[in-house]
Amino acid sequence: MILVWKLLRQHISGLQLLGFFLANLLGMLIVLLALQFYRDVRPVFSQEDGVINNDYIIISRRISAFGVGTSSFTKNEIEDIQDQPFTVRLGAFTASQYKVSCSMGIEGVANFGTQMYFEAVPDLFVDTDRSQWKYEEGSDFVPIILPRSYLSIYNFGFAQGRSLPQLSEGVVSMIDMTVLLRGDSKEFRMRGKVVGFTNRLNTILVPESFMQWSNREFAPGADADPTRLIVEVGNPTDDRIAKYIQQHNYDIDEDKLQAGKATYFLKVMSGIVMGVGLLISALSFFILMLSIYLLVQKNTVKFRNLLLIGYSPAQVSLPYQLLTIVLNGLVLAIALLMLYVLRQRYMNLLWAMFPTIEEGTMRPAYVLGGVIFLLVSVLNVMAIRHKVSKCF
Amino acid sequence: MDSIRLEHTFPEVFAKRSDLQSDVWQQDVTFERGKLYLVEADSGTGKSSLCSFIYGYRQDYQGIITFDGQNIRNFKTRDWTRLRRNNLSLMWQELRLFPELTAMENVMIKNRLTGFKRRKQILEWFDALGISDKVDTKVGIMSYGQQQRVALMRALAQPIDFLFVDEPISHLDDGNARQMADVMMEEATRQGAGVVVTSIGKHVDMNYDKILHL
Repeated sequence: MILVWKLLRQHISGLQLLGFFLANLLGMLIVLLALQFYRDVRPVFSQEDGVINNDYIIISRRISAFGVGTSSFTKNEIEDIQDQPFTVRLGAFTASQYKVSCSMGIEGVANFGTQMYFEAVPDLFVDTDRSQWKYEEGSDFVPIILPRSYLSIYNFGFAQGRSLPQLSEGVVSMIDMTVLLRGDSKEFRMRGKVVGFTNRLNTILVPESFMQWSNREFAPGADADPTRLIVEVGNPTDDRIAKYIQQHNYDIDEDKLQAGKATYFLKVMSGIVMGVGLLISALSFFILMLSIYLLVQKNTVKFRNLLLIGYSPAQVSLPYQLLTIVLNGLVLAIALLMLYVLRQRYMNLLWAMFPTIEEGTMRPAYVLGGVIFLLVSVLNVMAIRHKVSKCF
Repeated sequence: MDSIRLEHTFPEVFAKRSDLQSDVWQQDVTFERGKLYLVEADSGTGKSSLCSFIYGYRQDYQGIITFDGQNIRNFKTRDWTRLRRNNLSLMWQELRLFPELTAMENVMIKNRLTGFKRRKQILEWFDALGISDKVDTKVGIMSYGQQQRVALMRALAQPIDFLFVDEPISHLDDGNARQMADVMMEEATRQGAGVVVTSIGKHVDMNYDKILHL
């Protein structure tokens, strides 16, 4: 094989290979950087809390100055929103139609109680760990998701002023609550536990199945229209959403829409940059292929003679195949190294601006880089083999 | 492989010729293992074509060529690679050496593939052929006669059932031609191989089993 390499390395143009190497490196780096940056920066915009995903908006009716008029949605109105082109899915908030009070204490001694209410959205809109997010009829346990702001109000307002202990999310999740449901004619005591917190939904959430059961049980006949709707939208920047909301005098969370827009732009930008990177990678792939084809062309006589003295096409192809694989591997390694350095720099910048952002991993870049490496190498190997076989 | 048979074979370029007078073309000819043949030819009668058809790198012939009864038109690349390593050897008229490699490397590039001869044996050939001082000389700067001897050694560095040598001594004096014939026949006899020598006139006197006029 050494002799074959000695023969075939002639005519290899270092300049061409360098050209390929740099072009491929640039392409690979851009692709990987775009993906990695997108994955790293996305949490800044989306502030994913795991409860409600990003491209959802919550629609409510605008409350008039004196609180007159209805605040709920009729069936027709809901159907109309459902039919809008921007709507992917729609779910209604169902409110509890009975009285709820809740007390919590440690070791069975209730020392904190409050009147409250429950709301539910279809489970599909809850994409937190759903293993705990279920209620079975007859059970006396109900999982609850609280808005994160409620905890802040307690910790920084209430507890501070009364020298009560501040509570972390973990601690709250461990507290046993006693929930008292009271209808017109009966009441029921159950255990409750906070299983998650949300930044997005400004309400106390319980599973929809629980809501259906409890409303039937404690407020039969009181079938109220929903006051809030949650809508999954394909594209939160869609002009038609804003227009529709305005026309019908509805209200949505503007902030939410802004975050959605930013995420969308981030997606588009990353997509464009990745596209450019892929294009450069594709072009560099062609440079390499042309370079190899030229080499094979220049060495046709040698190839032919090697095949004639008994070398197989696979043996004759091997040196150039190894050459491309080594080059591709080198490109991947250096691109990942450069990405690592660049990522350190921008992550430091991100941490300075958003201290809570997670460190994340470079796994997406590893995976994508590996896939590109494999794809390009397999194509190279096949093309070289094909070209050499033609000499036979 | 014990026999190579040509049944009514002739090059396609001769298809229109009606005056074909040949012991080989358009005849039924069998080359048998262990025998020595001389194919004499005038230039342009398809001597090198015959070698290329049998060696499997040209198919522009009519008729049938078989190895032990198997039509070689059906052979795949893999079959030819195997045959060229283990059964069939050809010393080309145009030699097909690699000028950028040394004489030894040119022999070794074949021998590494077959693992057939030891370096010492190859050095003995160099000695016997009178070019032991050229072992590490690049083939590109050797004389044609010297190159012919390198090409012969390369052709011998493998298991052989049939050896075709296409005008092996065209550039050699009688003394060197004799030495070359001796080395060739020693190896061929040792392996029990069939040898087919082609010539356009100049040839070494050997005990040919059959002389064919192309």
